Amino acid sequence: MSNNLAAGQKIKIRDIFADGVYRFNPITVQVLGICSALAVTNRVDNAVVMGGALIFVTAFSSLLVSILRKSIPLRIRMIVEVAIIATFVILFDQFLKAYAWNMSKQLGPYVGLIITNCIVMGRAEAFATQNTPLTSMFDGIANGIGYSIVLILVALVREIIGSGTLNIFGTQILTLLDIGYTKNLLFVLAPGAFFTAGFIIWGVNAITNTKEDANE
Amino acid sequence: MQKNSNLRTIGFATILGLVCSILLTFANIQTKPLRLANEKAEELTNYLFVLDVPVSPGAKADDLLKIFDKSIRVKEAGGIKFYEYYPENSSDDKPVAVAVAFNGPGLWDKIGGVIALEPDLKTIKGISFYKQAETPGLGGEIASDWFQSQFIGKSIISPSGTPGFKILKPEAATDSNSVDGISGATMTSSRVEVILEKLAGTISNARSAYEQ
Repeated sequence: MSNNLAAGQKIKIRDIFADGVYRFNPITVQVLGICSALAVTNRVDNAVVMGGALIFVTAFSSLLVSILRKSIPLRIRMIVEVAIIATFVILFDQFLKAYAWNMSKQLGPYVGLIITNCIVMGRAEAFATQNTPLTSMFDGIANGIGYSIVLILVALVREIIGSGTLNIFGTQILTLLDIGYTKNLLFVLAPGAFFTAGFIIWGVNAITNTKEDANE
Repeated sequence: MQKNSNLRTIGFATILGLVCSILLTFANIQTKPLRLANEKAEELTNYLFVLDVPVSPGAKADDLLKIFDKSIRVKEAGGIKFYEYYPENSSDDKPVAVAVAFNGPGLWDKIGGVIALEPDLKTIKGISFYKQAETPGLGGEIASDWFQSQFIGKSIISPSGTPGFKILKPEAATDSNSVDGISGATMTSSRVEVILEKLAGTISNARSAYEQ
């Protein structure tokens, strides 16, 4: 977890975003919340909406946990956090069902499963309980963005290799099927996500490690 | 009062629980009509699709409902509901196509769908498996165009005259009442076959009642 952001210190927004998106990216560095990263990344559309859902939930649950941080009884702290997270997740799910029916069907149970996403709980527990509301909200947004970027990257690879096409919200950007490309089922199914996410995590860590060595 | 006293803990939990449930109840009530309309529209779209009723792409839920009310008549015979399609401008008093809903167990969850037949209740005009939770990319392919379009023009009566329908091994030679299965999805294919076998029987039994 981000140790350089100790409680009580004055924290720069830029640092929060650098940590959430890059330095301590929840997926590539902390390897949290990869369950949904594996499940919904067979299409870019799904990844975008899932990322949006996570940004919404982490932002508001961190905000609320931080507002209540001084009054939450210690013994039920985590239960309270889960209750708050669950409320926002269900709100988002209902919203999708009412206004984006097809997307809701595509994502199936995975929107509901954001409740158990380690990133949301992790940020609420590790950051929001020790920092001021606005800072916590920015931290939630930053981590949500970090998650979304990786999700979209994985989805880009999987959709192109798996389906041979790239459709973003109804607009076809690319199709390899015309030139005789055969769809690769492995990438449509979850194992494809393991490979893709694994390579991305490896790549990112290889790059960041080199930089750290160079700085020393 | 102490921050971590029992009383305060219980009080906090109660209030939080109340606030969250009120919020969610409110959201649920607010979105309910929209959600129900979406579900209904989804079902109707499938009836309209298999019956080949012209629908403009991107039609709203209530437009679909209007089209459905205008051109589909429901007739109950022999214990099943027949959804008959009468095109708007035709004066003919015979339906162009007849749809029947079906469902049964799939591999992971129930498979539900709707089949459209010629008015003779033998030849398939279209089929849609729209309620399914089969493995995406494998069994889930039953909802894809290539699988569903295989059914068009086939019959639910075998060449020897008995009602039935077969899903064969992929690439096998198909006849008038069979289609290719999905490679890698034998379990789903065989369950779909059971559902269609049963459906073919039910429709055949209800045929005489329907024709009256």
